[in-house]
Amino acid sequence: MNNPHIIPLDVIQLVYAYALILLSLALARLQHIGHEKQLLWSSIRMLFQLIAVGYLLHLVFAVNSPLPVVLMLLAMAGFSLQVAGSRIKKRMPNFYRVVGSSIIIGCGGVTFYFCLLVVGYSPWFDPRYLIPLAGMIFGNAMNGASLAAERLSSEMHERREEIECALSLGATSRQSAGEAIRNAYSAALRPTINTMAATGIVALPGMMTGQILSGTEPIIAVRYQIAILCAITGAVAVTSFLIVQQGYRRFFTDAHQLKRE
Amino acid sequence: MDMNQQQKSGNDPLVEFIDVGVTKLSPAGTTKAILDRISFTARQGEITGIIGASGSGKSTLIRLCNRLDDPSEGTILLNGQNIATIDPLLLRRKIAMVLQKPFMFEGTLLENLQRPFLFRNMAPPSAGSNEIARVLDLVQLSSEMLDRDARSFSGGEQQRVNLARALVNHPEVLLLDEPTSALDRPSTARLASTLSNICHSEHLVIIVVTHDLYLAEHIVNHLIYLEEGQIVEQGVGTQMLAMPQTTTFRNFLAKPEREQKSFS
Repeated sequence: MNNPHIIPLDVIQLVYAYALILLSLALARLQHIGHEKQLLWSSIRMLFQLIAVGYLLHLVFAVNSPLPVVLMLLAMAGFSLQVAGSRIKKRMPNFYRVVGSSIIIGCGGVTFYFCLLVVGYSPWFDPRYLIPLAGMIFGNAMNGASLAAERLSSEMHERREEIECALSLGATSRQSAGEAIRNAYSAALRPTINTMAATGIVALPGMMTGQILSGTEPIIAVRYQIAILCAITGAVAVTSFLIVQQGYRRFFTDAHQLKRE
Repeated sequence: MDMNQQQKSGNDPLVEFIDVGVTKLSPAGTTKAILDRISFTARQGEITGIIGASGSGKSTLIRLCNRLDDPSEGTILLNGQNIATIDPLLLRRKIAMVLQKPFMFEGTLLENLQRPFLFRNMAPPSAGSNEIARVLDLVQLSSEMLDRDARSFSGGEQQRVNLARALVNHPEVLLLDEPTSALDRPSTARLASTLSNICHSEHLVIIVVTHDLYLAEHIVNHLIYLEEGQIVEQGVGTQMLAMPQTTTFRNFLAKPEREQKSFS
């Protein structure tokens, strides 16, 4: 699978690249931001995680069977959930159930729709397509999921008086939490909307850049990029929608009562 | 002075608490009684006042009436029917509540008054409708204010808007949680007079939780003194204030901080 168009990076070249991390570390120390250890630790994690994933992908590609591919997708979903959970200080009730099911349905559904209908490769589990595409979809949807869940929790907390006022006037729990739901959903979609608007002008996306570097015609790379951005938007929209719709209910009882915090 | 022992005054009781209790589980796993065996009756055309120090359980009690919370034990009846068996959405249209801190939805005064209709998926009344004129008249607000941003109103005006908004559903019962806590004395007096008028003109049951003895002295018919979740004394308001029967109630009345505004 060696591509004649791409220059393979050897260890020396990677050391040169890593020098930029050391430069960042020096600048952080100069500014006394106090995050030097975190920066170093994150870079080491990144290094080992990517090397491990590289070998894992090599293995999965070699086996070429649906089981390891599906297991890898499930592991990605699990890590997405864990990362989303660790980022949030104040979690909604039943956080892992709500966000986990939303990621599986939202991202899983969009990934399979995209792979089978849009790209249409065969076999369906071809890891060369399914894993990187799912990785991008899950990774971006995880950001949307975090934002939706965190914003919903904070809105429900801050709008307690408004919600109880509406409930006291005969509103349903859905009506009383309407503004919180709208704001949480809007916050979840905003970065994706901004990314779409800026793509191609402010920044060239990673997937497109990678394809061009590996010798793909820019026009084809662009088409893939357009398609994947549509898929990411769809996954963020569906996942966040499921989170806010399932999530707000967790703050209420069946008798339209706001649960005590 | 037990109201349950009193003869009915000809009116059917509308809201009745029978041995109502609320317990709370502490982080250590022990249960604490917030309200303990509360029994009283609030009647149509009367204002029932619930007074007590901060943390006595007043706000917890009033929240049970429209099922913002449910009791751990006991029964609350509305016209003889257990409120636990009534659809909470229907119940809250019959039992309106004005929360301690006035809340204004985004928009004009008119839009605030239209909100309860939107919650019921009904066409909201227009500015010139009898419905809007009725509630404005009840709380003494001018129709010229209808187009103003509701959030620009003063504290006293906001309290009146909240009252008017609670009355558009034609409730049978009106609950008020510390309605004067953010008001100065003239606004308190004006609100007291408004509540007294509404109680009689609309034939309402009014239950008011208050820290403010002005309301207890001037408009409350039936007074309940609550301490640490228990009713210590209840009876006719003016009589209770003139001749407190228990030491704890006497001490409460004697405390200089009793008139401080509370947000408990």
